[in-house]
Amino acid sequence: MSDLNTILIIDDSSLSRMLIRRMVLSKFPNCSVIEASNGDEALNVAVPAAPDLITIDINMPGMSSFDAARLLREKYPSAKMAVITANIQNTVRQKIQSLGILFLAVIEKPLTENNMQKIFDAC
Amino acid sequence: MIYITPLQQDVLTEIFNIGIGRAANSLSLMAMDEVGLTVPSIKFTTRKKAAGILVTTAGEVVCSVMQRLEGTFNADAILIFPQANSLEIVKLMVGDTTVQDLSELELEALCEIGNIILNACIGTLTNILGGEFNISLPSTKIDTCWAILELERRSHDEVVMLLYIDFIMETRKIHGHLAILQDIVSIPIFAKKIEDYLSTVKH
Repeated sequence: MSDLNTILIIDDSSLSRMLIRRMVLSKFPNCSVIEASNGDEALNVAVPAAPDLITIDINMPGMSSFDAARLLREKYPSAKMAVITANIQNTVRQKIQSLGILFLAVIEKPLTENNMQKIFDAC
Repeated sequence: MIYITPLQQDVLTEIFNIGIGRAANSLSLMAMDEVGLTVPSIKFTTRKKAAGILVTTAGEVVCSVMQRLEGTFNADAILIFPQANSLEIVKLMVGDTTVQDLSELELEALCEIGNIILNACIGTLTNILGGEFNISLPSTKIDTCWAILELERRSHDEVVMLLYIDFIMETRKIHGHLAILQDIVSIPIFAKKIEDYLSTVKH
């Protein structure tokens, strides 16, 4: 597990963002946490440096999360990405796989410390 | 009037989102089809307006499955879809093969589907927020939304909290709503449970 300097959290739920932020900062107190509530915002939000890790929810208002993930991969080619979602259908997992993006993990909500640790371990 | 804060609303819709995500996973495994979900919405409105939100045509007869949650707070969890979809739902449960009179199975299949979906939502809500509850057995009703929301015997102007999501199964052309309806008197207790949960997240 390498150090996390910047994380971009994309989720329309402020509760989920709060949870992820808390877990990240308890492990990496100096990490810059950038939050966005949808894909469009994530693509336009100002970041102090390219994120090391991006977490993205599926099923958000506005741009589809699949399109957002593809565009974010182009914008931040070195960032590691993980999906944290309540929509855990096999077809959704297949769509995620078909994007051709290597995700560290696809984690089911509600997010637990153990599952967040899996993402950190894979970083 | 503000009944719950924007952050409490967010917590509630996210918990609902997690519950419907689990329900959709079970449904998609049964139907071998993806269940498309909208983003959950929350509204404080009258019972009459809530009925209008859950149907597209006034007076339309719909199928419903309802489970009542009673305890620390009270709420009704309701699955609603057009009557025209009900046989498709039965086929989803028994397969497309030969059952002579599918309509005989209709209510039973609807009840079971409702049971799976509603329990996923109710279970998620009560597991996360905590509290003591009795959950009724699922009951099916084929009627207008007006009758399902008991507008004939309750005040039309009674304010309720309506939490709902639309779902669609493209291949089988099945669409419907999942709603949680809560009387306004339960909301302060409900808000307190959300606040208790939030305090565990913040620290």
